[in-house]
Amino acid sequence: MRNHKLKRQLSVVALGGVATLLLAGCAGGNDAAPVADRDLAAPVAGVIADGVFDGVTLTYAASGGIFQDGQRDAAWDPFAKISGANFLQDAFDAGKLKAMVDSGNVTWDITNATQFDTARGCGTLYEEYDYSQVDISKVPEGTITDKCMVPNILYGLVVAYNTDAFGDNPPTSAADFFDTKKFPGKRTVSQSPYVDPQTVEFALAAEGKDVNDVTVDDIDVAFDKYRALGDDVIGWTSGAQAQQQLESGEAVMGLVWSGRGYGAAAAGAPVAPMWDEWMIMVDSTAVPKGVKDPQAAFAAVNFYLGAEQQARMTELTSYGPVNVDAKPKVDATLETWLTTEHLKTGIAPNIDFWVENYDALSTAWASWVTGS
Amino acid sequence: MGQLGYRKLDGMADTTTTHARSKRSAPGGDTAKQVREPKSWRPFLLLIPAFVVVSFFFLAPLIDVFYRSISDPTLGVQNYVWLFTTPTNMVVAFRTFATSLLVTIVCLLIAYPYAYLMTVVSDRTRNMLQLFIMLPLWTSILVRTLAWLVLLQDTGPINGILEAVFGIGPLPLIRSTFGVALGMSQVLLPFMVLPIYSALAKIDKRLLPAAANLGARPVTAFFTVYLPLSRPGIFAGSVTVFILGLGFYIIPALLGSSKEIMMSALMYQQISGFLLWGHGTALGIFMLATTIVVLALLGRASKGTNLFAGRGK
Repeated sequence: MRNHKLKRQLSVVALGGVATLLLAGCAGGNDAAPVADRDLAAPVAGVIADGVFDGVTLTYAASGGIFQDGQRDAAWDPFAKISGANFLQDAFDAGKLKAMVDSGNVTWDITNATQFDTARGCGTLYEEYDYSQVDISKVPEGTITDKCMVPNILYGLVVAYNTDAFGDNPPTSAADFFDTKKFPGKRTVSQSPYVDPQTVEFALAAEGKDVNDVTVDDIDVAFDKYRALGDDVIGWTSGAQAQQQLESGEAVMGLVWSGRGYGAAAAGAPVAPMWDEWMIMVDSTAVPKGVKDPQAAFAAVNFYLGAEQQARMTELTSYGPVNVDAKPKVDATLETWLTTEHLKTGIAPNIDFWVENYDALSTAWASWVTGS
Repeated sequence: MGQLGYRKLDGMADTTTTHARSKRSAPGGDTAKQVREPKSWRPFLLLIPAFVVVSFFFLAPLIDVFYRSISDPTLGVQNYVWLFTTPTNMVVAFRTFATSLLVTIVCLLIAYPYAYLMTVVSDRTRNMLQLFIMLPLWTSILVRTLAWLVLLQDTGPINGILEAVFGIGPLPLIRSTFGVALGMSQVLLPFMVLPIYSALAKIDKRLLPAAANLGARPVTAFFTVYLPLSRPGIFAGSVTVFILGLGFYIIPALLGSSKEIMMSALMYQQISGFLLWGHGTALGIFMLATTIVVLALLGRASKGTNLFAGRGK
């Protein structure tokens, strides 16, 4: 009898132990010691003092691929080398970020998000910048669109078209994208899970609407325009897929990220950009809310914004630099795809409108990407 | 030492009583009801590892998901109101069940003859057949799906041959239900073949000549004798394939168009794309509930079939 009792007690203790361990595991990470503010000189973009962040670990979360590799090689690793910090890379996922912030266990220090993400999540998901710690004097005008971001890259949503199909008579306006009589063949458009307001704005621009003057009713107008293309419209759910559709000739035209259009062209596909009407895109470099060492994160961002780093970033990723002094050395193909040369014909997004009407947009987008 | 001895005795006593009891009741006929181990809580200790794992890694998250669905952003049922009043959700839910059902039927039609073949060939050939069925399970689902993408696309080799040889096409092999069903069926086929095979292997082959001996034509013998006996395998395989099929994400995304997107993609979109966790979790709970209802209905329909024993009553 005694034996039984002892055994039962033991199993209760064991169970309790397991539970405690698991709970401890969940709650861990909240106890980071506050970081003493180091005395750094006034920030100059692209400059960091030797060894100031010895022993600090920073993590950059972005969308991966050659894009993130290029940013790592151009800025984050050099920053780590000089400052003494340890720089890690991770894959960004907005849902994961929200989970981190909600649970108070933020393991990312710098992230790459869209400018809509940071405008919508400023103060809740993202930390407000202390612009006294980041030199933003060389950032292209108008690219800082909320208090929680500095630009990450300057790129675009552009029409990429097949030059074998339309080389002699290329499309010259957003409206041409929807003209299947003059430009027959399949078009590819974003149907990724991530809402893209600028895909909506592009259709409205084709209708001759000013994007600064849109209403909620216009959202349906835009999607109906894409739906009216019927069998001539196919979707892409990732940048890689968009590029594959252009390369294989599956799509003769695509509304794609400039870097992916360039990717197809660089791989030898007969693809060229249409710059007459295109959507200017800016990604945010953002610092998650509750980050452990904001000073180190801001210093790294400040380094990232340097002219030399930005030039190198562009050479490696094909995405446009966010420092006006950056002089990337690029080949002829990449030169035709660089957004920074065509800012005059680009259309900047109406961010405030989309943040305000996010629910209507997300509902319409969900319906669009699920074909219902 | 003394304790050990005591325990041994205790155990032996238990066994002997059981034996004695079963012997006593054997001639009485209804043995199944009377032969029982003496009630003891000790065997239930074996459940502790499973219980711990399930509660921490399944039950607790599930409760959290449910709680979020009624509390994000505010306490109430607004997420469920959204769920049922947004046409997209119902369209996609229906599509998810329909696609999974289609895949189940396709798998069944392919797997049944295949499993039968496995029961009539030599051991060596059977091992080969089994290997062919398992082989896809050892390759990454992403690689397989991308391979299909290359083969099936409008400018791919299959459409190329169709066009060059037969002068037709390009046929919509991808971005269509066909592509999705093909890709999913390939992945899910093993889950249909194996349970059916294990059911068929247990059927006494002499039953068919016996039926013929009684005047049944081969078709009659198959439908009245063989098929009913294989029902447990069909049921187990179909339920497995159907439920696994409901959760597919990559294949519909790559081989389908927006018109083939399934529920998992919709959930991912709400959670990671829109950060509307209330919506996403409500969709999850809705899928879980409807799946349980469908399973319960199926269970009713197949009364008398034991899903787990792989053998009829």
